[in-house]
Amino acid sequence: MPAFRSIRTRRRKRKLNAAFELQLTSLIDVLVIILVFLLKSYQTSMNNLTTVSGLQMPISSSQDEPRDSLQVILTPEGITFEGVRVLDFQQDVASAGASEGTYKLPPEALDEGGKRVVALFNTLVAAREKSELLKQKSPVRDAQGNPLPFDGVLAVTADKRIQYDTLRKIMYTAGAAGFKIFRFTALKKET
Amino acid sequence: MLRRPSSRRKSHGEQIALNLVPMMDTFVTLIAFLLYTMVFVVMTHVETPLPTASPTEVAEKLKEKPLQLTVSFRKDETEIWSPFSKIAAKKIPNTPEGTPDVAAIHARLVEVKQQFPNEKQVVLAPTGSTSYDSLVAAMDGIRMLDAIDPPIIVKNAKTGVDEALKLLFPEVIFGNILGND
Repeated sequence: MPAFRSIRTRRRKRKLNAAFELQLTSLIDVLVIILVFLLKSYQTSMNNLTTVSGLQMPISSSQDEPRDSLQVILTPEGITFEGVRVLDFQQDVASAGASEGTYKLPPEALDEGGKRVVALFNTLVAAREKSELLKQKSPVRDAQGNPLPFDGVLAVTADKRIQYDTLRKIMYTAGAAGFKIFRFTALKKET
Repeated sequence: MLRRPSSRRKSHGEQIALNLVPMMDTFVTLIAFLLYTMVFVVMTHVETPLPTASPTEVAEKLKEKPLQLTVSFRKDETEIWSPFSKIAAKKIPNTPEGTPDVAAIHARLVEVKQQFPNEKQVVLAPTGSTSYDSLVAAMDGIRMLDAIDPPIIVKNAKTGVDEALKLLFPEVIFGNILGND
């Protein structure tokens, strides 16, 4: 077929090829800039702390890197431990349909004079026992050959509007369940 | 006899076409990977231990009479005091918004730290209505030293060298978790 092409067609074909030569320089410029920007903002972090949409976290100037630990999240709807809903906050008429939660614990969910959250306590005790069992089974041992002790660290992620009264009950419950260190998660203040 | 024209003259007009397709493939793959792993929210944490009180510890404390620097939030003010009267108690009124005046608290704590440079612990006693936001802000003010703060020099016990402190009172303990107030 190409042998029978007319001179005019051949000329047109040549013109067409010349018009479609791609100028990739500017595209590569853009890609390089994006790449540099992304590499600058890239950071490796092994933590798997999660947040919930709608949660307004406080801002902190602390420079500590968040490390992996068991996590309690206080959402406007309720208390979540490791992604599982443990307890719903009390809903009243005023808060129905509102975006802000009441963060009030139902009285029947508390014991020890209203200081301990029963459902959360049971969940945390189960989590501690599981962690201790895993440490016993683990080949990692301390200098004396004993299994490593339970670290007792609990990350607390909460909305900035939550009151200390609720937070105190969570900490009291966690303390009763064997958690001795609390890590309040916050957004890092940009310096 | 005419000489053969130089081949350099011919090659002058030729352009070398770089094959950029593999490079672009790499770039696109890298950008996709970096976008996927990009962290848009940088998180941090503020650590606080649970207070422990054994009868022997309490008895020892009563003997030693430590500073036990305490920051108590009240309805309209914040009080910085020591149960053993090691420092003069100071009351700092809240801001017009009703939140603790973190800057004034921080300034007072810097003064205390200059008197007791080896002290690391502060007992924080907020009211039940204190918001989590105010708590974290207050903990930052208690724990961190700002760039504009006067330097606090402490001799390193191990090396014997004078060092400027980087943190003010790094250990913040909630003093009223176990109580009802």
